[in-house]
Amino acid sequence: MAVVAKSIALPRPRRQLLPAGALQAAVWVLVVGLIVGPFIPMLYASVRDRPLYEAGGVLTLDAYRQLVSDGEFWRAWANTLQYAGLTTVMAVIGGASVAILVSRTNLVFRRVFGRLILLPIVLPPLGLVLGWIVVWGPGGYLTNLFSQRLHLGTLAIDTIPGMSLIEASRLLPVAYMTCEAALARADSSLEDAARSAGAGPARVLRSITIPMLRPALLNSSTLIFTLAIASLGIPLLLGTARNIKFVSSYLYLQWTNAAQPDPATVSAGAMMLLVVATLLLVLRNRLLGAEARYVSIAGRAGRNAMLPLRGLRWPLAIAITLYLVFSTVIPVLGLAAMSVVVVLTPLVAPWHLLTWDNWHQLGTGEFRRAIVNSLQISLVGAILATALVTIATLVAHRSRFPLRKALPFVMLYPRATPGLIIGIGFFWTYLLTWGVGSWLRGSIWGIMLAFCVRNIPFAYVVMYPTLARIGEELDRAGRAAGAGWWRTCRSIVLPLLRPAIFSAFILMFVEILCDYDPALFLVKPGNEVIGTTMLSQFIQGSVGPVAALAMVQVAFTVLVLGVGSRLFKIGVTGGHDA
Amino acid sequence: MPEIDVAGLGKTFGEQRALDDVSFTVTDGELFTLLGPSGCGKSTTLMSIAGFQTPDDGRIAVGGNPIFDASSRLNLAAERRNLGIVFQSYAVWPHMTVFDNLAFPLKVRKLSRKDLGNRVREVLELVDLAPYEERYPHQLSGGQQQRVALGRALVYSPSVLLLDEPFSNLDAKLRERARTWVKDLQHTLGLTTIFVTHDQDEALSMSDRVLVMNSGVVQQIGTPEEVYRQPANRFVAEFVGQVNLITGTVAGYENSTAIVDAGEGARGLRVHVDQAPQQRASLTVAVRPEALVVEPAGSATHNGSNTLSARVISVAFLGDHYQYELEASGLALTAQSPHKVGSDEVKVHIPPDACAVVA
Repeated sequence: MAVVAKSIALPRPRRQLLPAGALQAAVWVLVVGLIVGPFIPMLYASVRDRPLYEAGGVLTLDAYRQLVSDGEFWRAWANTLQYAGLTTVMAVIGGASVAILVSRTNLVFRRVFGRLILLPIVLPPLGLVLGWIVVWGPGGYLTNLFSQRLHLGTLAIDTIPGMSLIEASRLLPVAYMTCEAALARADSSLEDAARSAGAGPARVLRSITIPMLRPALLNSSTLIFTLAIASLGIPLLLGTARNIKFVSSYLYLQWTNAAQPDPATVSAGAMMLLVVATLLLVLRNRLLGAEARYVSIAGRAGRNAMLPLRGLRWPLAIAITLYLVFSTVIPVLGLAAMSVVVVLTPLVAPWHLLTWDNWHQLGTGEFRRAIVNSLQISLVGAILATALVTIATLVAHRSRFPLRKALPFVMLYPRATPGLIIGIGFFWTYLLTWGVGSWLRGSIWGIMLAFCVRNIPFAYVVMYPTLARIGEELDRAGRAAGAGWWRTCRSIVLPLLRPAIFSAFILMFVEILCDYDPALFLVKPGNEVIGTTMLSQFIQGSVGPVAALAMVQVAFTVLVLGVGSRLFKIGVTGGHDA
Repeated sequence: MPEIDVAGLGKTFGEQRALDDVSFTVTDGELFTLLGPSGCGKSTTLMSIAGFQTPDDGRIAVGGNPIFDASSRLNLAAERRNLGIVFQSYAVWPHMTVFDNLAFPLKVRKLSRKDLGNRVREVLELVDLAPYEERYPHQLSGGQQQRVALGRALVYSPSVLLLDEPFSNLDAKLRERARTWVKDLQHTLGLTTIFVTHDQDEALSMSDRVLVMNSGVVQQIGTPEEVYRQPANRFVAEFVGQVNLITGTVAGYENSTAIVDAGEGARGLRVHVDQAPQQRASLTVAVRPEALVVEPAGSATHNGSNTLSARVISVAFLGDHYQYELEASGLALTAQSPHKVGSDEVKVHIPPDACAVVA
């Protein structure tokens, strides 16, 4: 003991001017208000006999009665359930199979497949759907080519199974990521033990690997089913033309097409959809709770021996490649080709029809406005939403705020909420909030708010695992050292959370840029965003410029994700298995 | 330097009573240890003092100033309690250098730049880390990180120091050194300290006094010698070191000595007691293995009372002693002896003074 430090008299830490509780309460109210708040006017609108903007009126269940007695509404439900069921089966079987092949077998190029299979979630969903239609749709390029030149039929994508296939290819990565994460968590020595006990590869898969995946399968099934029910783009673009209605498209068409808009029934239908989605979310939370029991002790010591596929090594790899080409590469190439030709047809070679007109159009009018608006709201929205979610996550997991336990559930809630419901909710909310509401309704910021709320779950699921890894003793040490809650968060937790904050920001930017369905109920001339413009222009038939616009969206997405993952070494895709 | 007064702490988690009427007083400059198995409530007690847990009942005061009182709903925020704490994981902030780790509490207290630098360097000197001030925690060994944590807890001259299993992440050799070092430091600074551990060796070797806890209930408070030699009950006897428990009925009493019958071959054992037991009452006594005397069957040193003939079941050589598992007239006994007894038939003597009544 060389030196004896004198005990010195230091000032005691002082009480904070603004109690931490006030900030925590403000954030809590803001988050819960933004996410749950918009449903209240919608509920109110569904039980009134006239629109909210008309004075007078009485409470009534007429809208619900009207819906329940409408045969078309029930047909829409039947179609929706069939569609969601088929989608779930295809996406989960596909995703789980690829996950097993990639992480447990000696498939060739398995690492490459592991990354490529995620492509559909980093590409804008609406653009991808348009790509499918351009290439495989009725009158699509390859559809015509096959039937006219080769006299071969192709899959009719404007049927329920066809639409499910597109939806499944969009959602397959969700199942893949959930299963892949479960497989990575599970100790592969469990499988090694079965092989030592004499089981062949097929037997190991059947008796060990697949049973261990059960929670992940259930979990991703519920999520995919919920997302498929909520889907609007594919039903609207492909189903409507063939008069196949889904709940989401039924409600949307009721809202826009009816001679006399009748929002009460739309709100009532949205409430019913919301209840179904909420029940599915609650079910999924139960399943996630059950999943904890299946977690085997993490023993990640050595690289596990891969199950040998023997003669199937190459055929399976070729099958996955074909799937990727068919579902992702061709649609994107189709869009790219579409954007530089006058018309895409097998009758005339495309190089005779080359034109820059489509791209020139992007510099003018609605297209230009949409791009500028989208970039603005993506940037500002990503900043605001990331900041809010960051603090809300800290309140949820690192404070003693009495109501903190509700926050994780609330922040994950929009994931299960159909975008059109969020759109309707915000529409009514803006109508009822006087000056602020009418300003939001008339500007792009109202759309931004709805997009932010819709995508909060992504930011939360990126943020939370990192926060959970930051030991709680680190902030306790800060408190013991005399720093208040906010000072501790600022000086200790936030710096350690920085990589996750950047990831969340990048992900939010991309998600807001690609989002569209909440905006369908909020868009007005002047505040269009890329997604709404793509949809409306496509329906009006200007396919070329829409293809160019989709390519712009793809380019921005790839650019931002690429730069983001380079700069911050982040796995942006992590958020989607939420 | 203040004393710490904890009175009647109670805490219930769901159905489970985590703390049940926990009371103790730590005197000025004392190193006081909370000892018990994991889940016994010792960490909950420490965290209640630190302000990271809120008990349901009770009071806590430091130096006469109440910092927690359930009855008057007083619960001073952790950051205003001015206590130094070293966590089990050390909780050294990974994004700050050693210097910044120690400087943070002083920045919070708005010390001037000059004073801050002086004070941090003074404490770095104290914890032998002066050459490392620019390093980041990941560039330090476990022992050094622990000293950073300790320095950070001392830099603002807290009124008391709380140590939550600080040695459990160190390897055995380093742990011994760290114990001595921390004990010396605590002694030199005269800092009132509460130390939490589940390691009885640590508790016995470092503490001025030990509090043994189980299932949220205080079992015994005493000096290390008292806790080891006169365990208050069966739990303390078994938790602190190895022990033989002998149960029998009281057959007589004279001059602080009870006569105990413990089965067929072990009648008339003489046991030292503090107060007269009831005739025919059931009694359990604890005897440490090293207190038993093991001798060859023919030896004449111990004869007569409290000497039983025994059979050796197994012998283990443990370096500094031999450990015997014995079967003595129906009693299973564990004994330690520095000597090896050649034969299988032995005598075992139970010194009356080495027996402590535990039930």
